[in-house]
Amino acid sequence: MGNSIATAGYTFVVEESKEISGEDLGLLQEKLLQLNWGVQHPASGPMRLKVWVDGDEVVKVDPDIGYVLRLLEKLVEYRTWINAIVNVERACFIDNFGTMTGYSIAAEKIAGVEVPKKADYVRTILCEGGRIVSHLIGLGSFVGVMGVHTPMQWALIAREKFLDAFEVYSGQRIATASIIPGGVRYEPTGKFIEKMITAVDFLEKEFIPRYGEVFIDNPTLKVRSEGIGVVPKEKAVELGLAGPALRASGIPSDIRKDYPYAAYGELDFKVVTKEEGDCYARYLVIWEELIESAKIIRQAIEGLPEGEWRTKFPIKVPPGEAYVNVEWARGCFGFHLISDGGTGPYRLKMRAPSFANLWAMPEIMKNVKLADVPVIFASLYMCHGDIDR
Amino acid sequence: MEAWIKAIFFPGFVFLLVVFLMIFYLERKILADVHLRTGPYYVGKWGLLQTTADVFKLLQKEFIIQRRANKLLFSLIPFVAFLMVAMLIAFIPFSEHSFIVSTSFDLLIVLALVTGMPPVFFYAGWASKSKYSFIGGLRVVNQMISGEIPLWLSALAAAVFYGTLNHLQIVQESSWLGFIILLPAFLIFVTATLIVTDRPPFDIPEAEQEIVYGFLTEFGGFNYAILVLSKLVELFALYSIAVVLFLGGFKGPVLPGILWFFIKLAGLYLFTFVVRASTPRIRMDQLLRFCWKVLTPLALLNLAFIILVKMFIS
Repeated sequence: MGNSIATAGYTFVVEESKEISGEDLGLLQEKLLQLNWGVQHPASGPMRLKVWVDGDEVVKVDPDIGYVLRLLEKLVEYRTWINAIVNVERACFIDNFGTMTGYSIAAEKIAGVEVPKKADYVRTILCEGGRIVSHLIGLGSFVGVMGVHTPMQWALIAREKFLDAFEVYSGQRIATASIIPGGVRYEPTGKFIEKMITAVDFLEKEFIPRYGEVFIDNPTLKVRSEGIGVVPKEKAVELGLAGPALRASGIPSDIRKDYPYAAYGELDFKVVTKEEGDCYARYLVIWEELIESAKIIRQAIEGLPEGEWRTKFPIKVPPGEAYVNVEWARGCFGFHLISDGGTGPYRLKMRAPSFANLWAMPEIMKNVKLADVPVIFASLYMCHGDIDR
Repeated sequence: MEAWIKAIFFPGFVFLLVVFLMIFYLERKILADVHLRTGPYYVGKWGLLQTTADVFKLLQKEFIIQRRANKLLFSLIPFVAFLMVAMLIAFIPFSEHSFIVSTSFDLLIVLALVTGMPPVFFYAGWASKSKYSFIGGLRVVNQMISGEIPLWLSALAAAVFYGTLNHLQIVQESSWLGFIILLPAFLIFVTATLIVTDRPPFDIPEAEQEIVYGFLTEFGGFNYAILVLSKLVELFALYSIAVVLFLGGFKGPVLPGILWFFIKLAGLYLFTFVVRASTPRIRMDQLLRFCWKVLTPLALLNLAFIILVKMFIS
């Protein structure tokens, strides 16, 4: 109906009487058909993709975002240093630990607070737990866009075990608000460690063999995703891809390895990269990172030191600035935090990886088939909360 | 039994309604089992009445026709589709005596009716006057036409082998030798059935992540229920034909014929459900390439092979 809605101030006038023929629908105009892939769509999430198709070929894609804008960066300015974590973690609720860790490290840098070693290890355990939770959903939704809902169900079962561990730790399953400037909020009890080990055991002994047998090297899955949405190495840098999508193009960029934070410097893990740069490579990167993360959790639990789990964080922080990058589940998440000497942040700028991937998407989606749109969309591994913030 | 009682009760309408509710229930239970979930549980014993409750929910819903739709065509299409596929059931012998009609052109009529389906589903998409429905309608025509050629060729292989088009006669003449010789035709027939009835992994016209629900997008309530039911009936009818042509129909030791028929049918359905739970949907161009470059040549070769066998046997 496009043109028939006239915007006059805030009143929308819909012409009720006008008969709309096929031409007005765009069916015959310029032989191009504009599809609104979203906002109300089974696979789009709260965002709209304007997709122009010529027959079955996609001519152009234009993302339209802003449906889950919550002004998190502004809200942070009205919070105290510690309270601000609840806004920061809501950037994307699926992996909330990564964002909280990044913000906390930035705040500690300005305040000059040294975090106890135990807090670093607990942060590592929680961050990797969050990464596993996020990657499980990523795997499930990638195969889910091709009409198979089994991986999502299997992934959610494995995810439940991790959520149980988070619940024991913080009392909450999803928005845990558990990592604060100055350490972690709660004591990592024996019960929590036990639950975490149970979850990792389930992941390694039940989920990974079962999933790997059916949905890795699945011939139909390969037919659908191999050679689709290829991003060569140079192009990936040029477009500014982040996270698993960047590593799938053969660039070993991982903040955990390049600029270690928390306890990552003391742990042994490898950065997963693939050379192909297509949808299947991105899927495999997520899969292999899942296995790596389970190993990191085991190492961190073994090496968990004794001592305090948090230190006192000052109410007023001296003026200053800090920029901190963390390797969040969906890529490199940047925090630019400014203090003016008050009881809360003066300004926080969040650099979101999903946003970077989103604006690379129209480039990748040139001259693909309509059926490839959801596959490429899911393989770029984006979170809508993170795109809009 | 009088023919009209047959048509309404035993192999007819009421019986089939119960069978479909059970098949739908089984589909959900088996999918749930693969998903490691429980599935339907609360309505009735073991959730047996869940599907019935769902159907009644659909019947209560408001009858919505969107403003720009072609009203006559839009309301007519579901019933036309249902009528066309319901006629298929009349020609299926569930046991030696339970069938509605039996003519000497059974197989021909069934295949002709199946071939008539693509325009109906295309008009369902066209009458909706919605972009997604329109694309879904185009896709369904593309897909069904390319699936019907191998379907015809493989079904005709059986007809050539047994030398008749009558279902009852085919079942009576079937043997283990026939089963082995017709095995390739059986595999082609089942694959083509999945393509023609848009079952996963060939559910391209209904790919909800791409085009919402294809030609079903604008339908709701009773219309939707009838359209979905007609697709289910089509699958049921084609699988029954597969059982009749290739698996010996109601033949089997000890148990009564009708039970054997449904055991064989259940095997085919189980295969369908497991495929649905584990195989991603393929793309339209890949499907067309598969149909025209692999399936159709194989079906042609198979037909030539059957004719050769027939030459030596008779």
